Amino acid sequence: MTLSRREFVKKGSLSLSFALAGSHILLSPAEAHAKKIPFSVLTKDEVKTLESVCEILLSGATESGVAHFVDHQLGSDPNDSLLVLKYFGFPPPYTDFYRPVLAALKQLSQSMFSLDIQSLDEKQGREFIEAMRDKNPPDWKAPPAPLAYLALRNDAVDVVYGTPEGFKKLGVPYMEHILPPEGWS
Amino acid sequence: MSKNEKVDVVVVGTGAASSVYAALLAESGKSVVMLEKGNARKLDDLYSSQTWARRLKWATPHMMEESKDSIWYNFNAGHGYGGAAIHHYAVWPRYHPEDMKELSLYGKGLDWPFEYDVLRPFYDQIQSDVGMSGDAEKEIWRPAGDPYPLPPVLQSNHGTVLAKGFAALDQPTSPIPMAILSRPYKGRDACIWDGWCDAGCPTGALANPLVVFIPRALKAGAVMKSDCQVTRVLTDSKGERASGVEYFDSKGERHEQHADVVVLGAFTIENPRILLNSATDKHKDGLANSSGTVGKYIMSHPAVTAFGMFDEDTENYLGATGGQLLTQHRYPKEEGAFGSQQWEIALALKPNDLLGIAMSRADLFGNDLHKFMKEGSRSMTSMVAVIEDLPQAENRIELSDKKDKYGMPLALAKHTWHDETRKLFHATAKEGLEIVKAAGAKEAWHSPPGGQHIMGGTIMGSDPTSSVTNENAQCHDVPNLVLGGGGVFPTSSCVNSTYTIHAMAMKSAQHLAKNWSAIVK
Repeated sequence: MTLSRREFVKKGSLSLSFALAGSHILLSPAEAHAKKIPFSVLTKDEVKTLESVCEILLSGATESGVAHFVDHQLGSDPNDSLLVLKYFGFPPPYTDFYRPVLAALKQLSQSMFSLDIQSLDEKQGREFIEAMRDKNPPDWKAPPAPLAYLALRNDAVDVVYGTPEGFKKLGVPYMEHILPPEGWS
Repeated sequence: MSKNEKVDVVVVGTGAASSVYAALLAESGKSVVMLEKGNARKLDDLYSSQTWARRLKWATPHMMEESKDSIWYNFNAGHGYGGAAIHHYAVWPRYHPEDMKELSLYGKGLDWPFEYDVLRPFYDQIQSDVGMSGDAEKEIWRPAGDPYPLPPVLQSNHGTVLAKGFAALDQPTSPIPMAILSRPYKGRDACIWDGWCDAGCPTGALANPLVVFIPRALKAGAVMKSDCQVTRVLTDSKGERASGVEYFDSKGERHEQHADVVVLGAFTIENPRILLNSATDKHKDGLANSSGTVGKYIMSHPAVTAFGMFDEDTENYLGATGGQLLTQHRYPKEEGAFGSQQWEIALALKPNDLLGIAMSRADLFGNDLHKFMKEGSRSMTSMVAVIEDLPQAENRIELSDKKDKYGMPLALAKHTWHDETRKLFHATAKEGLEIVKAAGAKEAWHSPPGGQHIMGGTIMGSDPTSSVTNENAQCHDVPNLVLGGGGVFPTSSCVNSTYTIHAMAMKSAQHLAKNWSAIVK
């Protein structure tokens, strides 16, 4: 997919091309989330797990469209992938990372609390993340848990703070190279 | 299989070295074809976003790694036109004379086949061609060279705050020398200090290959092709001369590009991979490998980033990704653990990605992370130390048992820091915290080890029995096969490699042009 500079700036720096009603439209992950654009790779269950974990890692990730961002990238050519995972040396396809990681996270929540991740309270959520942040929890059957922590945390940061809207939340000027013809949409 | 029309020069790669070779040889009247493994890219594709910046890096594996200390391939390599230099930060200090005589002076490392004075005119010419900014007088450690053509890069409060820490410990600092325009230069606009260097600079202020040498090459008639994976260097029937390269296009179709001279500038890891994969009955251990040195002496600068949190607004979003100030106060190699070291000070910060604010405290999540992001965006500082990696023959690139889709074995990297290097890393990390605290930080911390600037693997030298190329980067065994890039460096020093890659490529390309008849005979 190629965006023109004007389209890119106007839509925000994470605008992606989503299929809707037989055509492709440019949307930010947050817009894709709000419009409930169908997922192309992740299952409904995987989306729920991904959003729940990322929401614990950084609240606002769900609304910012983390699941649509990851889903879109999993359907892209790995060399064009925008996922931070490509820095960590995990070979594509990246579904071989996300799918077992999400399954293992769901299982971990059940084994620790007998609850789905989205039902964890704040204290349980913290214990859940701390159980996988620095080492593999018992019976972990997925790529290394600390790598999963880093990747999912970065995915959440990308959509919450890595966009013009995110910069605005932090009070930092975005300073794109070419000034937009109008304000951020 | 298709056989393309023979050209004078085939250049493999489109990065820092390759673009210089292509430009200078095309300008000397040679027909030149450049083959890029990655995709086509133009300046308009370089979006201001740390997330989009990841398109400039590879995902498909070219290298496996069995290293104790990673060389950080994925972060350092580049994908597409411009290669790794498309996302480099343009911090361009020079090697020091002692870096090139390390074995003679200290009994450690290796010697280069020439001394600093030989390379100096090429450094001077390159800085004039690309437009460098800096203050040569304030770089009291700087080797002999012409003054910079442009005044220094921006210094915001970020640099001013950290400079106090260095001053408190009697460490002088200078403006950092950069291949970024502080003023308009040769038709290019000056930098607006937006800190998007890692995402690739589309304005032309940062001298990446798409800005300076690729346009020169194309203007002089060179042809540049994307999606061409070179797998082997081809040789004549006697195995004494390179006759061209084999490559596969994006559809998997095999091609041969024949040429009088082959320049391999395919990145430090790919060059030995291609040479080792070019073995024939005349070169059973790989091409240009009669010394057994191909793949050996791989180096990657250990790096540590020191962070601080201050009460004041540090304006850390302003400037260039590579920093505002420099010190080479600890360059002398025999003070403490052996090796040189430099600090690049006040790196422009973004919220996300590997070098971003969030990643500096990877342990934080939830509300703690939100709080940290807000405070860090206003009051954090960042500076990175680059540390010399001593050359060791055991640190090497081999061919892996695993193969890519063209049947070409992947590279396999094995790399472990020298004990002296490890000591220097830990001392530097400790020193970083002391400096940040001396600057008045209320909190100081440092990153885990990182790696920058992959070098070695096809080193140059005077002795054909212990090196791959001569002083002009021509392979001892195959004189019309030339190796571009940091792979030919016998030592790493502690300075960023791209400036020296340019200077070395210019030296070699001018030698080729001047001695063309003898080389292609």
